[in-house]
Amino acid sequence: MQDQNQQAYDRGLTIFSPDGRLYQVEYAREAIKRGTASIGVRTADGVVIAADRQVRSPLVEEQSIEKLHRIDDHIAVASAGHVADARQLVDFAREQAQVNRLRYDEPIDVESLAKEITDYIQRHTQSGGVRPFGAALAIGGVDPDGTPRLFETDPSGTPYEWKATTIGGNREELMGFLEAEYHEEMDLDGGVTLALETLAQSDDDIDPEAVEVSVIDTETMTVRSLESDEIAAHLAEFGGDDDE
Amino acid sequence: MTMSRFTDPLTGEDAVGDPTAPELGTGAFGNGGDGADQARARDDETVNKTGTTTIGISTDDGVIVATDRRASLGGRFVSNKSVQKVEQIHPTGVLTLVGSVGGAQSFIRTLRSEADLYEARKGEPMSIHALATLAGNFARGGPFFAINPILGGVDEEGSHVYSIDPAGGVMEDEYTVTGSGMQLAYGTIEGEYDPEMSLDEARELAIRAIAAATERDTGSGNGVYVSTVTDEGVEIEGFEDTDEAHAQ
Repeated sequence: MQDQNQQAYDRGLTIFSPDGRLYQVEYAREAIKRGTASIGVRTADGVVIAADRQVRSPLVEEQSIEKLHRIDDHIAVASAGHVADARQLVDFAREQAQVNRLRYDEPIDVESLAKEITDYIQRHTQSGGVRPFGAALAIGGVDPDGTPRLFETDPSGTPYEWKATTIGGNREELMGFLEAEYHEEMDLDGGVTLALETLAQSDDDIDPEAVEVSVIDTETMTVRSLESDEIAAHLAEFGGDDDE
Repeated sequence: MTMSRFTDPLTGEDAVGDPTAPELGTGAFGNGGDGADQARARDDETVNKTGTTTIGISTDDGVIVATDRRASLGGRFVSNKSVQKVEQIHPTGVLTLVGSVGGAQSFIRTLRSEADLYEARKGEPMSIHALATLAGNFARGGPFFAINPILGGVDEEGSHVYSIDPAGGVMEDEYTVTGSGMQLAYGTIEGEYDPEMSLDEARELAIRAIAAATERDTGSGNGVYVSTVTDEGVEIEGFEDTDEAHAQ
């Protein structure tokens, strides 16, 4: 499975391998790939995040599988990877958003929040006795000045800003699709359709009940979850609904 | 403070942060406790105080913040005749020193470094409202002693004047006065202030109000410092005599 040489360097987190790699961080990225994808799309008039709930059994309450999380009025995140790890990052983000309000009496901007989270993640790659977070977040929101922003966090603690991105499984294929289909003049509705169409690349039959979509538009600057009939209408636009 | 449930694995400290504590230099501002009480008692007896009259007046074109220049011991002995009691703490913001000189000076240094850090991280200066909120949090959370400064500044939303009281109260107004000469200065400004007035007219009014306080308040005197804050920046001038200031 892995050679002797590698095994010597992937036991302790804080140890570099001779060729400069941090194996535990790379394994955390592998953990993220094992889950379903979440999508983020930024348009001129808002940001979309979307995720497919992985429903393993008809007996599971679908609503209990949460992959999108509201952080503050104007910011929401989509998670991928270990759900339990993601939940810690989500609550950390919520507290940071409130600290900004307590400290300055103003909503936090999306970039500052993303960097607070990635700094926290980074500290878990440089400390003894902890392991990295096996989760990635796509952070979507509208800055206090009205600018839509979309960031991604990685287990190394590096923040990336995107026009559109996917986190989680099947990334190469989905990124290829987004790169081909994304265009900057897209409106928010078009962004929702593109996000769903991207999800449909992995899963041909999308059940509107099993998909979560949240939007933050530049007008209201408020997170809104789409109802399943709205999602169904978007699915119908590209024939991604169940009945096809 | 109560820690959040998130700890920094590198330092073992709270990873979320205390919104009422300065980010740097927290050691000097432990909340309450014996040290703070002793410091306050010490303050009351022998520590230099500004007595002071400080004034902030807001106009459409900017803000005038003016102060006298006297430091005193117990309001009976003039311990310094040329204190600059208004300092720049932000690209377009100033704060006055009112109360214990040591407390006010450390308050100013702390706010200045916080404003610099904020701007370095976010790529744009803090709003004056955010700066006033932060100042109120610090006044409430740590023993900066009896201070009662005025914050004047200009941001994207326009001109602002705030008073910050020792318990952390933050109040915005069109004009405000703090310090031992405040009733005399208010007497001058009341009825004269006009929201439409020019920056020059506000400057004249502020200097007249400092002159009035200088005449009758033993804690205020020895000339005037005048700062002019516009969206382009801060200018601070000192005058040994309030009459000289008028001539400018």
